[in-house]
Amino acid sequence: MSDYFSLMFTVVLLSLVVNIGIALYGIFIKPSLVKKFIALTIFSDSINSFAIALGFRRVTGSYPGVAVLSDVPRGVEELRHFSTASVDPLPQALVLTAIVIGLAVYMFLTGLIMLYYRHYGTTRVDAARGGSRE
Amino acid sequence: MEPVAILLATAAALLSVIATYLAIEAKDLLVATVFSAVQSTAYALMYYILMAPDIVLVYVPVSVGLLPAVTILLIKKTERYER
Amino acid sequence: MKARELLIAISIALMVLLLAYVIELGGLGPLAPYALRDIARAYLEYVYNPWNVTASSMALEAVTAIVWDYRGLDTYFETSVLFVAIVGVATLYRGYRELRGLGGVGLSEIVKTSTRVLIPLILVAGASIAIHGHLTPGGGFQGGSFMAVLMVLLVVVFSLDYAFEKGLTSSRLLAIRSAGLVGILLTSVALLIAGVVAGAGAYVFQNMAREGSDLSMPSWFLDRPLGGTLFLFNVFESLAVVSGLTLTFIVLALRKEEVDQALATGEWCE
Repeated sequence: MSDYFSLMFTVVLLSLVVNIGIALYGIFIKPSLVKKFIALTIFSDSINSFAIALGFRRVTGSYPGVAVLSDVPRGVEELRHFSTASVDPLPQALVLTAIVIGLAVYMFLTGLIMLYYRHYGTTRVDAARGGSRE
Repeated sequence: MEPVAILLATAAALLSVIATYLAIEAKDLLVATVFSAVQSTAYALMYYILMAPDIVLVYVPVSVGLLPAVTILLIKKTERYER
Repeated sequence: MKARELLIAISIALMVLLLAYVIELGGLGPLAPYALRDIARAYLEYVYNPWNVTASSMALEAVTAIVWDYRGLDTYFETSVLFVAIVGVATLYRGYRELRGLGGVGLSEIVKTSTRVLIPLILVAGASIAIHGHLTPGGGFQGGSFMAVLMVLLVVVFSLDYAFEKGLTSSRLLAIRSAGLVGILLTSVALLIAGVVAGAGAYVFQNMAREGSDLSMPSWFLDRPLGGTLFLFNVFESLAVVSGLTLTFIVLALRKEEVDQALATGEWCE
């Protein structure tokens, strides 16, 4: 059982790494700025998912719970029990703000790409260098 | 419960890899946007299984709702096909 | 240029393989461990701890408590980054005019009717996520993005003309955005001001009573915990996020007639 879980969890992490690789390939190779933009969003989402996966943990005997108290605790023992059965909330808190800030920055990028298209009439990145590279 | 949950998370992660590949390779940028949204949906399912409901609540409106909307707006104002 | 692309592809594949190898070897430590990190245990055990108020934030939700109490200054500056990005978009298109009557009709009647049904549902869901942020999963960022989806739906389905007629003008949205930021600022120094007036010790971003300061925000409302500043921060942040994202989307969606003159006469665009 334990081996099965670790194997599957490793597969999740490796898929995230592969996603990072594919998205980086798109950012570097694709000439279209819109495609670069889409690849950039996938890249940052994968990095964020990696942080979430690092905050996950296992609990003996059951599945871990969310980092939210379901009711007002009545004693210190209840809190102790809560902390032994909950996942790490810190990466979630860091990723939470990063996603919303990322959206605002992407919107700024969108405005820049629109202005680029107005100026050059294309979204190919090599237009700014005065023509196609090929 | 644990084996089923981690199996679902693995399936979501593998689906996201396929969606990412198709999104990067698609010549039609609208199709690429849709595949990017599919990848975001798979990530949202994965966050849910990894016990991060806060992230699901912020990730679903942002990456499945607003970001494709902004990207489609961008495609509408520029060009649809990658050349 | 084929060789260059091949080189990039090979280096990325190498990077993926090496990262996978590091993870497989356990270079990032045991992944999905049984043990909890010490700092996480501290956060979880003190998030609602009436027996040790000086280290507690008296809210039931650990993530919101970390975002707005334990690491409040961090989040305050992140909110400033959000504000600067939104001001940046408005500055890119500075000088645009909001014209009415350009003939935007929106989508068909079927879509409009179903959207009218959806509007109150999304609004209530977003508001409840924001207001209950200290009790259940959620908070200002989540509720704000929920409501921003609603605003984007309004603009797309009913057209920009309709949005301007209903008062979704960019100056008003920017005013709401700034009011949200000022609210966050005032909430963060509220206890400091109270301390200066009363002649007692207090800190910036203080929530509950801390060492050296007996001042405290209310921790209980009727029959539920309130979390002090967390509630106010969530409400103001949701206002700031919804108006900021809507403003950005409206500026990006402006029609050609509205931005042409502004972009043509800009001093940087010859």
